[in-house]
Parts: sequence; structure tokens; C-alpha cells
Amino acid sequence: MADGHLFNNISLGGRGGTNPGQLRVHSGGIVWKKQGGGKAVEVDKADISGLTWMKVPRTNQLGVISKEGLKYKFTGFRDQDVSSLTTFFQTACGITPEEKQLSVSGKNWGEVDLNGNMLSFLVGSKQAFEVSLADVSQTQLQGKNDVMLEFHVDDTTGANEKDSLMEISFHIPNSNTQFVGDENCP
Amino acid sequence: GTMDNRGAMKGSGDLNAYKNINDLPTPRDLMIQVDQKHEAILLPVHGSMVPFHIATVKSVTSQQDTNRTCYIRIIFNVPGTPFNPYDSNSLKYQGSIYIKEASFRSRDPRHSSEIVQQIKTLRRQVTSRESERAERAT
Repeated sequence: MADGHLFNNISLGGRGGTNPGQLRVHSGGIVWKKQGGGKAVEVDKADISGLTWMKVPRTNQLGVISKEGLKYKFTGFRDQDVSSLTTFFQTACGITPEEKQLSVSGKNWGEVDLNGNMLSFLVGSKQAFEVSLADVSQTQLQGKNDVMLEFHVDDTTGANEKDSLMEISFHIPNSNTQFVGDENCP
Repeated sequence: GTMDNRGAMKGSGDLNAYKNINDLPTPRDLMIQVDQKHEAILLPVHGSMVPFHIATVKSVTSQQDTNRTCYIRIIFNVPGTPFNPYDSNSLKYQGSIYIKEASFRSRDPRHSSEIVQQIKTLRRQVTSRESERAERAT
């Protein structure tokens, strides 16, 4: 194994839930294959625009942001994997992963950050959750202060969550100055 | 007086369901869960379980359509909501954006009605305890 690292039990998360699989990180990029075949995700080194690490309950999550603005989230890394992979990404790809923190305070107020295809809800600069705008089927302005996002309903076989998010709405008080005059963006 | 202000600040500023990431329940199925101990609900969003303190929840309802598909709708407290014990200091957060509502489709009617009951019960317990506490403080 001169080139790269292989990890079993790495799940890919996203709309529809999570799927277990195997992730290979090599000098040419990353390849994830779903356990039992089927879905695969491949991102070439040249297409990686950013990497993130986040501590999540009992494990670590790697975020791979592609130049197209997509973000893949892989979960299941031990702490020692984080340090060895960080070194590997720095030497093989010239990218230092950014460390992000997860908010677990349970607050429903914070900030919305739009980055590429991802909408993040941040509580005190920590990330509470992220959704992909690619999964949004419709946005609606409700009244003067509320923005509703409707999500595509995922009926594919990959969907393994019992309860699926269909709609989420954000209330933007008049006192908020972040999104003044842009009615297309929450 | 000063003490009262501090009390209000505590109500809002200290709203903290979990102190530590590893205090969250071990992720099981991606479905709505109630964590009685931490007085929180956990919602599956994009493959992760996202906690919300029960005090942020205003109401929860469920509905079933003809295909036995259930819909769970959670409405959160936002500024301007009447009687919200945790909102007394909301001026402090006036620059914030609030999650107002989240709707889920559930594949399991039994789980769906159970979880709605659990959320309602927990909300009632915490609300009555908080209003008793507020009464004692005055």
C-alpha cells in the first residue's frame, strides 16, 4: 500500500440517509464504493476544491467539496485516521483540511451561510446542519419574513431514513441585515 | 432589578441541550427521536441527527394521508411568539435567523404518532416546570 489509505465502514451521508461503504484515498483523489456494490463516488484530486474535518458523535466526518460545488460527507474516521489523512492530503494534494465544529446546543437561532451548493445553519460559528441546494425543489417567500425550502422527495432505493425532511422554513426578522434586498436567497 | 435581568439572560443564553458532542445518543435509524434526559428532540437532516432543545419547540402535529403516509410538522418559537419563557431575551439575538418550521414525511405511522405524543409530553413537562420556576422567582 505505497499509495494511499483504505478505510472500511465509511458511510456516505446525504439526502435519503447514509450508506455504508469503503473509502480509498490515494494520490489521485478519493473513491468511495457502496457496500455490496451499486453507488460509487469518485473525486479526482484536481476536482477537489476543499476538505473539512468535523467531530460528530463518537466519530469523525470528512467533507470533500468538489469544484462543481458539491459536497460529499464521509463518516466513520477514528481520531488517528484524521491526523494521518490530514498529513496525506497536505503532501499528496497540497490541501490542508479545514476544521469545523458541530453545534449541539439545540438552539433554533443562528446564521445562514451559503457556500457553493451548501446552505449551512450556524449557531455561534458552529455548524448545526447543512443541506444541499441541489436537493431543494422549490423556495417560497412566505409573508415578508419567512423563507420556505421544499426538498425533492427521494423515493430511490438508496433512501434508508424513516423520516424524511420535506420542508424547512427560516424566519428572518426585520432586524436582520444579512439578506436585505435579496428575495431569492434565504 | 439586576437579579431579574440575570435570570432572564440565563433562560435564553444558557439554552444548551448538550454540552459535549458525545452526549448525543448513538445514531441509530435516521428518524425523529426524543432525548428525555437532555430535553431535546433530534431531527434527521441530510444524513445527520440535529438536536433542538424542547424549549425551542412551539408545537407539533401529525397528519396521515390516504396512502398511510404520515407527515410530522414541527413549529419552532420565533420572535413575536406569545408566551415563550426562553424568548424573553430575544432582543439580544435580533440579528439572528430562526428555524421556524420543519416538516417530515414518515414511513411508519406508529412511530409517527408515538413521537408526536412524546414531543408533546416533554414540551408540557418542561414548560410547566419553567413557568413554576418563573412564578417562584417573582
